[in-house]
Amino acid sequence: MFKPNKKGNILTENIIFIVLNLAFLIILLVFLFSKTGGAAVLEEKYAKQIALIVDAAEPGMTIDLEMGDAVKIAEKEKFPLSQMVTRNGNIINVRLREGSRGYSYSFFNDVAVNGNLNENKTGYYFVITENE
Amino acid sequence: MNKFKGNKKGTDKVISVYWFAILFIVAGGIVYMVSAFYGNPYDVREIEAGLLSDKTAGCISYAGYLREGVLSQEFKDNFPERCNLNFEVEDTYGWKEQGQYFLKLNFYDFNSYPAANSLFEISAGNPNLDDSCNLEGEQMPFCLERELYVLAEDGKPYTVKIISAIGKTEKNIQ
Repeated sequence: MFKPNKKGNILTENIIFIVLNLAFLIILLVFLFSKTGGAAVLEEKYAKQIALIVDAAEPGMTIDLEMGDAVKIAEKEKFPLSQMVTRNGNIINVRLREGSRGYSYSFFNDVAVNGNLNENKTGYYFVITENE
Repeated sequence: MNKFKGNKKGTDKVISVYWFAILFIVAGGIVYMVSAFYGNPYDVREIEAGLLSDKTAGCISYAGYLREGVLSQEFKDNFPERCNLNFEVEDTYGWKEQGQYFLKLNFYDFNSYPAANSLFEISAGNPNLDDSCNLEGEQMPFCLERELYVLAEDGKPYTVKIISAIGKTEKNIQ
């Protein structure tokens, strides 16, 4: 006949202890990943990055920007990849989800910027030409 | 002889309570640091001001020589257009009315700089940003001052002081 002994109690306590620790660690990791790889953070990051790239660019340049992490989020949110990066005058807007206005940042370089999704759909390339 | 004899089970429980207390403190620290870092916007104004200065320097000079017509009234009046600068900004936080860029160029005689007054001055953008440059505080524009040495067509040396100021505090500082 099976008799629960002291050793069995210790094992249960240890398992609860380990499970609680793991749960704690998982919650912490989920928080970290949600903060570091969140859509809002990436929208801001890429809007500012693209604006600075354009500021530093000269007419005639083509700049390829890898945006794999942003593409993943846009795909997950079922947001059209071709509308991730838009330009209105000298204001760049990056948007990764429906229902959000995205993040806008202006650039001072008075050039024409034409941004398109690259062939592999892992980012955008920007063609810089003189403003007419 | 010590009368108190703690049993192992009790000690284990105390250890696990301390363990969780430490875990909470460490996790709290991590959460605070991550929130502080990612909760604040990226401050890119230093890079932006540097790029603005570089572009301006490239616009007024080439290979150490002042470009033709820079020291003219026509260039001064049409400075942003001549240097391909567009100071339009997004219409948030009332930025559009105020302007978030400022650029000032002072041309000095190289031999009497910095004692002498500026011989020629060009500026564009929101001058209020320049006034805030020397003020202390967190919600202040970022200002960058650079100097370069150039030769005019006639060989006269100039020191050009470029002051570029970027506002955009709401999107770069919390």
